[in-house]
Amino acid sequence: MLPENLTAVVARNESWTGESATEPYEAGWAKEAIVFVRALKEPEGALPKARVQISPDGIRWCDEGSEFDLPAAKDTVVFQRLSHFGNFLRIAATLPEGSEITLLVTFHLKA
Amino acid sequence: MTATASQLDDLRRAIRESDPQLSRFDPLSRIICLDDFDRGMCGWTQLVGNYEDTLDAMLPGYAQHSHAMLSTLPNWDFGSHGGVDGSYALKIATRPKKGAQNVAIKRLTFRKPGPIRLEAYFTFKPEASELALSETDIRSFGFLYDLQIGDSSGPGDRVMPHLRFLNAEDGEHLQKWQFKRRTTPIKPIGTAGKTITHYHLSPDDWEDLPGGEQRLCYNEIPTKVNWHYLRFDFDLAAMQATRFQVNDRVFAMDGFDCVRIPAMKNLWCMLNLAFFAETDTDKRAFAYLDSVCLSGDF
Repeated sequence: MLPENLTAVVARNESWTGESATEPYEAGWAKEAIVFVRALKEPEGALPKARVQISPDGIRWCDEGSEFDLPAAKDTVVFQRLSHFGNFLRIAATLPEGSEITLLVTFHLKA
Repeated sequence: MTATASQLDDLRRAIRESDPQLSRFDPLSRIICLDDFDRGMCGWTQLVGNYEDTLDAMLPGYAQHSHAMLSTLPNWDFGSHGGVDGSYALKIATRPKKGAQNVAIKRLTFRKPGPIRLEAYFTFKPEASELALSETDIRSFGFLYDLQIGDSSGPGDRVMPHLRFLNAEDGEHLQKWQFKRRTTPIKPIGTAGKTITHYHLSPDDWEDLPGGEQRLCYNEIPTKVNWHYLRFDFDLAAMQATRFQVNDRVFAMDGFDCVRIPAMKNLWCMLNLAFFAETDTDKRAFAYLDSVCLSGDF
C-alpha cells in the first residue's frame, strides 16, 4: 500500500485578530508536513510572522522555532516545510491591535 | 433459502469468523467497506458546507467543521491509548465552545436499494484539560445517513436517519439515544439557483428514542476510554430503520423516523454516512472511531 498522504484543511475562512491559532491537529503518523496559508480577504494592518507550535498533549504548546510571513495580500499563498514535529501541530500568530487576516490553512502530511 | 444458498452462507460465515479483522463484525452478504483507521483515513473527510461565490455564504454550523485526524488517543498522564487492535483511530474533535460540533463523512452511492448495515467501534471523551471526571462535558456522539432514491425509482425523498447519544445537556447527565425528523428550513445559496443548504445537525428537534436510555462505560478518569460496538440496520427500499444495537442492548425502532425532505436534482442514489461529536462545555469533545464496517444485502 502507498504511504499515507493527507491534505487537511485545518482553518477555513477564519479571521484572526490578537492571539490566534489553528485547532490542535494530530499528525504523529506523518514524517513531514508542508503548511500552506492563503489570505482569503485583503489583510488589514501590520502582519506578524506566523509560528509553528508543537505540544505533548494538545493542551500545552511550545514554539517549534519555525516562523514564516503571513500572506500580505488576498489570494497570496505562503508555505513552511516541517519535519520531526512529534504528534500535535498548530500554527499561531499574535496580531497587533487593528490587524486582521482571514485565512485558509492547509496541512499537507506524508508518512 | 436453498441448500446452495445456505452452504454459501455457512462458508462465508466460516471465512469471516476466522479473520480477526472481520470476526468482530456481523456484516450482511456484501462488505461495501471495512474501514480500519490503522490503514489511514479510508475515505473519511470533513463535512464542508455548501457555498457559492464566497465561503461567507456557508452556514455557521458547517463553517465550524474541521478535518478528522488519525489519532493514537494520546493522553498527558499515560500516553497513547491506541485502538481496539492497532495504534490508530479516527478522531473527530470539536472546538472548545459550548455547543460546538464536528463531523466526519464518507460519500458513496448505492447499487441496490435494499438492506444495509452500519457497524462501528466507537468511544468519546472530552479534552482532559482538568483533573476532574468531566463525564457531563460531552453533549453527544452520533451518526447519520444522507440518502436519496435512484433517479428512475421515484417518486421519493432525500432521507436522513440521525441517531445521537445525548450524554449530557447543560451539565445534566442524560445518557439516552435520540433521533430527529426535522431539519432547518431550506435556504438558497448564491444567485445561480443551483445550490441550497440546511443544517440537519441543529441542536433543535431531537426526540427521545422510546426505551433509548443507556448507561455506557465511561471509566473513572477523564483520559481512560473503553470501546463500544454499534450496529444500525436500514432498508434502502422502504427507507426505514430496522434494527439498532449498542453493546448488549437492542433498541425497538417502531418509534424511530428520519428527516425526510424532497429529493434533490444532483443526489441520486446517494449513500453518505457520517459520525459527529458535540460539546456541552467550553472544552473540546472528541469522538473516536476504531473501525467502521458498512455492508449490504445484494
